[in-house]
This record gives sequence, structure tokens and C-alpha cells, in this order.
Amino acid sequence: VTHFLAHPDLASDRAVAALESCGLVGEEPRPVTRTVLDTFDGRLHAAGLRLELEEGAARELVLRGPPGSPPARLAWEGDAPQRAGDLPAGPFGARVVAAMVERALLPVVEVAAVGRRFVHRDRRGNATVVVVLNGEVTTAAGGPLPDAVAEVHAAPGHERRRDEVVAALAALGTEPGDGDLVDAVVAATGGSLEGHRSSPTVPLERSDDALGAFRAVLANLLTAIEDNLPGTLDDLDPEFLHELRVAVRRTRSVLAEGKGVLPGAVRREYRAGFAELGAATGRTRDLDVYVLGWSDIVASLGLEDASVTEPVVAELERRRVAAHAEMADVLRGEAADRLLARWRAWLEDPGDELRAADAGPIGPHVAFRVARAQAGLLRDGRAITPSSPAEHLHDLRKDAKKLRYLFECFGSLFPAKGRKTFVSQLKALQDNLGEHQDAEVQVAELRLLAQDLHRRRGVGAETLLAVGRLVDHLERVRIREREDFAERFAAYDTAPNHELLERLLEKVGTS
Amino acid sequence: VKVVATYSIKGGVGKTSTAVNLAYEAARAGVRVLVWDLDPQGAATYLLRVRPKVKGGSRKLVGPKGELAAHIRGSALSPVHVVPADFSLRHLDLHLEGTTVPTERLGELLEPLADHYDLAVLDCPPSISLASESVFGAADVLVVPVVPATLASRTLAQLTEFLADRPDAPRVLPLLSMVDRRRVLHRELVEGLGQDWPDLLRTVVPSAAVVERMGAERAPVAVTAPRSRAAVAYREAWQELAEVLWPTS
Repeated sequence: VTHFLAHPDLASDRAVAALESCGLVGEEPRPVTRTVLDTFDGRLHAAGLRLELEEGAARELVLRGPPGSPPARLAWEGDAPQRAGDLPAGPFGARVVAAMVERALLPVVEVAAVGRRFVHRDRRGNATVVVVLNGEVTTAAGGPLPDAVAEVHAAPGHERRRDEVVAALAALGTEPGDGDLVDAVVAATGGSLEGHRSSPTVPLERSDDALGAFRAVLANLLTAIEDNLPGTLDDLDPEFLHELRVAVRRTRSVLAEGKGVLPGAVRREYRAGFAELGAATGRTRDLDVYVLGWSDIVASLGLEDASVTEPVVAELERRRVAAHAEMADVLRGEAADRLLARWRAWLEDPGDELRAADAGPIGPHVAFRVARAQAGLLRDGRAITPSSPAEHLHDLRKDAKKLRYLFECFGSLFPAKGRKTFVSQLKALQDNLGEHQDAEVQVAELRLLAQDLHRRRGVGAETLLAVGRLVDHLERVRIREREDFAERFAAYDTAPNHELLERLLEKVGTS
Repeated sequence: VKVVATYSIKGGVGKTSTAVNLAYEAARAGVRVLVWDLDPQGAATYLLRVRPKVKGGSRKLVGPKGELAAHIRGSALSPVHVVPADFSLRHLDLHLEGTTVPTERLGELLEPLADHYDLAVLDCPPSISLASESVFGAADVLVVPVVPATLASRTLAQLTEFLADRPDAPRVLPLLSMVDRRRVLHRELVEGLGQDWPDLLRTVVPSAAVVERMGAERAPVAVTAPRSRAAVAYREAWQELAEVLWPTS
């Protein structure tokens, strides 16, 4: 249990006297640095955990949470852990890895202070209440920092004494809060430990001017691209690239839906620009998906013998690194830089003439585009038969994405409940189409990889046989998804679903 | 939460020393540990410098309305929390008897703490009783300290025979304790036990003054004599146990 109290007086002799009057004995002050580690999107925080690298009397990783459980401490040498493999086996590492879910750990907040511990001990010499008076508080983020922060920790069973100490410190005129030094600093600087939140939905009213609404949606997507670009370039974790690619695809899709609202020249220029950007990232993402799913596939086939699959893993990783380097050249290049800068400039100021033009309200425009996208999806889906080529399913996947992006990017125009129901139906169809296409891409990649491995010396027959089993497995996944398609599409193409969409569009179309 | 009980039918074999030293090593490895002292003598409570007081006695602790969280205390080893024992635990069987399924009661009490601790170490009294059965119901692993004596193998056999019919029986890991390698008999018995009990932990805890002094120091040997053979042995025993609880391969 921890409380913090912030007040300049906590650095004074009055605070020391208050603590001593409660029977606490002071120790020598010590500098301490605490670095909070979390994923870019705050997954540990969302899971109720806080991981810190604490450097003071000792260098330790400290894992706190949930409330009421003791902090887990681990002596730590070397750099801060970044990836799942950097963490130790056992429950400490397992709890962090379960919350990270494939993302990298990054330093979120670093707080330095000089802390002086005051300890109350019982007759047996056990610490019952510990107060740390922190002065000289600094943080890299800067901002208005508290002059002094007291942290009050109590061992279980000693809550009454803790309350006495808190009351004694509160009498100095302090501002109490729940949490510790890090929480106090984050609160004082107006920061957050929640991590980066990215949603394609921006708040819109149905009567809003369509051009303004499109600019708001596209600016939000551009921010998502910019936010995920550094992590993508540094290859911190695959999620950065995934998020960046999704934002690029949404941008292209929204540009297409802006017909009649956005100038044709602008739509053409930026659709082409973002198509190039997206294309430059595709190969790396495909290989990321491989590497991410590799261990599951291998385990499901009973191919745990590392010596057999190691050459395949090494080759996949080599290709992934090469693809990433190629992609990074494009993303760091002048063309990409210019594209993003010019796009940002246009979104901020499209020019007076355009601003003055009346593109009408956004509600009816979106309703029209959704109806159109749905009509295309139904037409293409109904035309697919068991003998249709795979390309038809790929095209249908694009139709479904187009519709999904409209619901996501202009989501605030729809009634929440109905939108959620409709999107969940659409998602079920998309999952089927996605699994089918992923399996097909992976089979093609593995076939090429097997040929390459075969040409090289030192790759044993066992390895090639293992690749064969993987191809066979993925082929079966592809066939299963293909067979499931008709049922999934039929579940989407139902009268109640159409009626639901009609009701939604009626509402959205009324500006 | 994984549950490890230090258990033996015999007394004076090093159960409490094992419980406290393993708990300390676990905490150093980043494991959140709760030590539950089930022995009315309260030796673990004493070693961890906790007041030997169970509020409301063993009835309140394990009875139908019992809730373990209310009894948890901090200890001298700050990351290790403790449910202390007092003399009221001599009635533990009686109060377990009053619950719906006595043999599952200790496990039930630990369940709500699953998010708060990674490991519960139960320090058990030396007997086979209803409380022991409830320990067997709760524990994933019984660490059974075995002293090198001629009847050691027979005592272990009695325990495993008793557990043989239980479908959810914990895994029994004997741990050689108080071994004096200078004595021929000890060396022979260690060798013999290794052949008879494949699950015997490889680590051998030596007979050592530092372990005996734990009662005076009230601290694990890794704190008072970190380089001693006994401290190294407990660290290695923990590593073996951790591999059983959270296998890496």
C-alpha cells in the first residue's frame, strides 16, 4: 500500500520532526533513478502492472501490481530489457511477457531524486512503515515538478500506523495522493502512464462540413503514421509497422471515399504517394507475420527439434532484416519525407478557395459511400463460387476493408450499438478472407524458401521435409478457410443484417 | 499461485529451515512469496520475525467464514509475506472438520490470492492428519526434507503409499538435509536414496552450524552467511524447484 504526499515543506526539518515523533528513524539520503518501462501503447499499465528499472543502492527490476501484492524485485545487470527474450524465465518474466504481447519495452518516464528513508520497526526489528522523503526531483520530460515528495509504504497488518504517519505529514499542509514518487511526478507534469492511444475515429457531427470532416479524419491518420514511423525505422517491434501500414491503408481508402469532397488532383497525388509508401512496407510485414506465427505453427506440427527448423528460421530472419533495411531506406528517403510534409501542410491549410466551397454535410456523404461499398461487397461476394479463382476472394477482402474503414474512420457518425453489431458481422467475414490470403502468401513464400535452401549446402533433408510439412499445414488452412467462405458470407448476407445497415444509414444520412 | 509445502511425517528434519530459505531464494528470483505457517509451534513465524498471533485463532483462519488476506503480515524479508501461526493451530484439524470439504479447504483459502502471489510456501507440522490431507489437496509439490537415517526411505515410502490413491496428489520431491559427508553412513545413505527415489533433488543440504544458528539470527542463511555451503545448497535447491514449478524446456 502506497501513498504519496507532495509539498515543499516535506524537504524541511518539520517533516523530519513529524516522522520522528511517529517513531520513525532516518537513514542516510541516497540518489535513486527510476525508469518506467512499458510498451508504446501502455500494455503493462493497462494490465495493472508497472515495471521499473531502479538504480540506487542496488540495480533492480521492480514489478509492481496489482494493488495488495508485494512488489517483485530482481537484481539486474546490463541494459534495460526490451524484448521478451531479455526477461528471465519464471513468473516475473512470464507476467511481463503476457502483458507485452509481442511488443517491445521502452522507457516511458525517468525520475531521479535523492531519497531519505525513515523506518518504523516493531519489537522484532521488522519494518512496519517506511517513508521515503524525496527531494531534488528531476525528470527528463521537464515541467513543473514537486519540490519534495513523500512516499509512505506499510507492511500488511500495519495500516493503522501508516494512517498515523500519513496524518502527521498531512498536518504539514501536504497534498496526498494514491501512488508513489513516479505517480506524483506524472501527475505534476500532466503526463500519463497510459501509453500512446491511437483510434481512427474522430469526433464528428452529421451536419459538419464534409471537407472539414475529411481533413480531420485524414490528419488523425497522418498523426498515426508519424507516431509509428520512428519505432518502425528502429525495428523496435512489429506492431509499429503494422499500425503504420493500417494508417496508410486507411488514408488511401478515405482519399478514395472523398470523391466529390476532396479535389481530384489532391486525391490522385496522395493516393499514388501513399500507395507507394504502403507497397514499400508490404514485404517486411509479410515476413513479420511469418516470424510472429512461426513458433505456434512449429509447435502445432510437433517440429520442436530446433536443429531441423533452425535453418528456416535463420533464413526467414535474414530475409526480414534485409527487407526491413530496404523499407527503411524508402521511409527515410526524400520522397517519403516530402510526401508526409506536403500532406500535413495541405491538411492544415487547403487554401481559402477550397475552404470557402460548400461540400455539404458529412452525414449524407458517408451514408452514400457506405451504401455503395456494401453494394460492391454483396455483388462481388455473391458472384464467388467454389470454382472462383483466389483473386476474387482477394478483391472481396479489399471491398470488406473499404467498408470497415468507413465505419472506423467515420465511426462517430453512427449510433454506437448498431455500428458495433454490424462491424462484428463484417469482422467475421474479414477474418475468414484474411486467414485464407495469409495462408496463400505464406505457402508461396515457403515454396520459394525451400528452393533456396535446397540449392545451399548444409541444409539437411530433415529441414526440407519440415518445410514440406509446414507447406502442407498452411495449404490445409487455406483450403479449410476457402471451404468455410460460403458459410461465412451467407452469415453476413442476411436480411436482418441488411436491415440493420439500412437503419444505420437512415440515421447517418439525416444531417 | 503455485503451492509448495515443506512436509515430513518426521519432526526435526529441517522443514522450517527449508521453507524459510527457499522462500528467500524465491523472492530474490523475483517471485512474490507468501509463507503460510501451519505449525502451532510457529517456528517459521519466529524465524521471519513476525508476531505469533492468529486473530480469532485457527477457527477464524480456516473456518467457513475465514479469509486468508486478513491474516497476512509483512516479514523481515520485505518481499516475503507471512500468514503467521500461533498455538491455536493445534486445533486446526477440528476447525477444518467444520468446513464443507476439509481436504480442499486450504486450497480454497489460497485461491483468492492467485493474482497477488506467485508462490505459497506452506510450512507443515510433522504428522499425517486432516490438515496434512488438506495440504496435499492444495500443494503442487511437497518438498520432503530427508535426513540420512536408516529409516528415511521407509518414511518416504509411507508417504508416497498414502498419496498413491489420490488423483490430485502433489509431486513429492525429497531433499537431503543435514548431511555430513564426512560420515560413511551418510554417504552410503545418500547414494542409496538417490537410487531408490528418482525425484530426489540433486542438491544436498549439509549439516551446518549456519543452519542451526538460524534460530538465533532469525534470518535465512543467504543473509547471515551468503557464501556458506548451506546458502549455496538452498540456492541450488530453489533453482531445481523453480524448474519443476515453471519449466523452461
